[in-house]
Amino acid sequence: MTPAPDTRTLMRRLFEPKRLDAMAPVPKIATYAVLALWTLVVLFPLYWVVVTSFKIEVQVDSGPYYLPFVDFRPTLDAWTFMLLHNNTLGPYVNSIVVALTSTVLAVLIGSLAAYALVRIRFKVKLAAVLTFIVLTFAVIGAVVHFAVPWPIAVAVAIALFLLALATFVRSFKAAVGNNDIEFWMISNRIMPPIVAVLPIYVMFQQLRLLDTQFALISTYTAVNLPIVVWLTRDFFAGIPIDLEESAEIDGASKFRVFFTIALPLVRSGLAATFLLVLILSWNEYLLALFLSNANAQTMPVLVSAQNTTRGPQWWYMSVLIVVMIAPVIVIATFLQKHIARGLLVGAVKG
Amino acid sequence: MRVRLENVHKSFGPVEVVKGLSLDVEDGEFLVLLGASGSGKTTALRMLAGLESVTSGRVLIGERDVTDVLPKYRDIAMVFQSYALYPHKTVFANIAYPLTVRKQPRAEIDVTVRDVARQVQLDQLLDRYPRQLSGGQRQRVALARAIVRRPAAFLMDEPLSNLDAKLRGYMRAELKHMQSQLGTTTIYVTHDQVEAMTLAHRVALLEKGVLQQLDTPANIYNAPANLFVAGFIGAPPMNMLEGDLSDGRFSTAVGSFGTASRASAKEAVAGIRPEDCRVTAPGEGRIAGEVYATELMGDHVLVTCRCGDATVAVKADKAFVQGIGTPVGVGFDEGAVHLFGGENGDRIR
Repeated sequence: MTPAPDTRTLMRRLFEPKRLDAMAPVPKIATYAVLALWTLVVLFPLYWVVVTSFKIEVQVDSGPYYLPFVDFRPTLDAWTFMLLHNNTLGPYVNSIVVALTSTVLAVLIGSLAAYALVRIRFKVKLAAVLTFIVLTFAVIGAVVHFAVPWPIAVAVAIALFLLALATFVRSFKAAVGNNDIEFWMISNRIMPPIVAVLPIYVMFQQLRLLDTQFALISTYTAVNLPIVVWLTRDFFAGIPIDLEESAEIDGASKFRVFFTIALPLVRSGLAATFLLVLILSWNEYLLALFLSNANAQTMPVLVSAQNTTRGPQWWYMSVLIVVMIAPVIVIATFLQKHIARGLLVGAVKG
Repeated sequence: MRVRLENVHKSFGPVEVVKGLSLDVEDGEFLVLLGASGSGKTTALRMLAGLESVTSGRVLIGERDVTDVLPKYRDIAMVFQSYALYPHKTVFANIAYPLTVRKQPRAEIDVTVRDVARQVQLDQLLDRYPRQLSGGQRQRVALARAIVRRPAAFLMDEPLSNLDAKLRGYMRAELKHMQSQLGTTTIYVTHDQVEAMTLAHRVALLEKGVLQQLDTPANIYNAPANLFVAGFIGAPPMNMLEGDLSDGRFSTAVGSFGTASRASAKEAVAGIRPEDCRVTAPGEGRIAGEVYATELMGDHVLVTCRCGDATVAVKADKAFVQGIGTPVGVGFDEGAVHLFGGENGDRIR
């Protein structure tokens, strides 16, 4: 059978598809034009950084030159200086250790917290929370203002708190529930980090931990926890409760249910969360600037340090940027298939 | 093992869903908890499993009081309506899970799992994932995971309701056979009276959290304890006629008839099952009416008759042909009449 001749008007031919699974010509061209334009916007800066890393000072200052071998002669000067004569390896290792460790910790602790928030109903008496806050301030006041030795102040506060729990707190009805705890966690991210930088700095100064990987790891873990809780909470809530109840009847403890049933089921979501938090830690600048110096310096600080008194050294900066974004691209490519995978298919009914 | 609920109550906030339920399931018995949705049957099962705490009362498995014992220490296995297979584990790992959790030696697990898989014809599918299985196969994995541990009791929560009708009939027979082979006490929740009648040694019929009747399927069908049980069991449901009972004679607006009873009661209800009725010529039979509708069901014709205010369904011969509106009589034996009266609609003997 020969196909019926196309009797549509020109406008309908241009704007309506020929078949149900095809695209009409005009929308197709428009779509790809926008996509191509956006691709250019995204890719050109990357190209520019790569190209600049092969330039020397003169080529940058008298530029712009776009095409290597055509416009200018690429050299490895910036690369040899940065990788062989400059201490780039130190900050690079620092970045890897700090970002990986803090991300693993944040995802582990955060997902445990998120799971607990989804599956366990908390009812903390509001009176207990308020008592705790009042006592905390009392301890600070006593130690700072009245020079009470801190072990004594803390011991007294704990005793008073336990006494309060056993007595008047019981008679209050108002309680803090799961939603309040979740909101409190997210509210940690509402405050701009710059507000907390100085107290954190002073804290590590007093602990004599400034310019250590430990300071950065613990700070990053704390800062990223709310994000992990916030993201993974919904993944855990999406697991059918039947699966976990079944595992409990089969003889598993709560921790075992978490590690053998819940965690594997949300691993796609967990991979996405891991990647996001890793990139946040990897790129973090403000806290690293305050908390690190020569020993614990991370890559973002090193990159910005190329903006010297002699003006920004674009060629050196470009080398650092290229080596900095390379691992992120590799990891993102590697984790992509996990992120795209729908794991719950076939879990229940179907 | 013997499983008992002793005067168990369960409230969710102000709502009481189970009200003083007592059950005594004997060793090796197949007990079905039957009821409509919201009757408290699933809550009762979940309290047995330990997934739900009891508000008051006691739960006993064997001679052990397990009221406050965690599910994993109760030595029970449960099959969920959704099967609750672990999607990231193979069929083998799914069946083996209760054993791996209990840290049995690997060689032993391997032998046990393969043995159980053979029993439910899954031995060819052990390397597959749940998503690669059909509904019936998933159901069998869930069963295998329950039997692999040889628990004190099986708890089943509507395990067949996700299967299509044909497979459900087949799995019903499989389940009954398997239970009698294993001889494990089984408590089975369903809203499907056919499942209850065919599977159970005894049926416990629940409504609004209260046990209505606990008896063998035959007794529940032949001697329903009250109006609710009479109306719930049987398809199409029992015909109900309202009237007065005086010394065993029941009178309604459309006729009066004798019964096997000698009792008297004002505002009683007479119930007759459709298969105990027959369509007769007008003027004959016990009550008068006219044909309202006829439906050919294959092996019989379901005739709905209008008798005064009441509707009476009659299972007639498959050759039955009568036009709508034809006046007829409806006949039945005295012994087929069930009588109910009083405030609760209890059976009058």
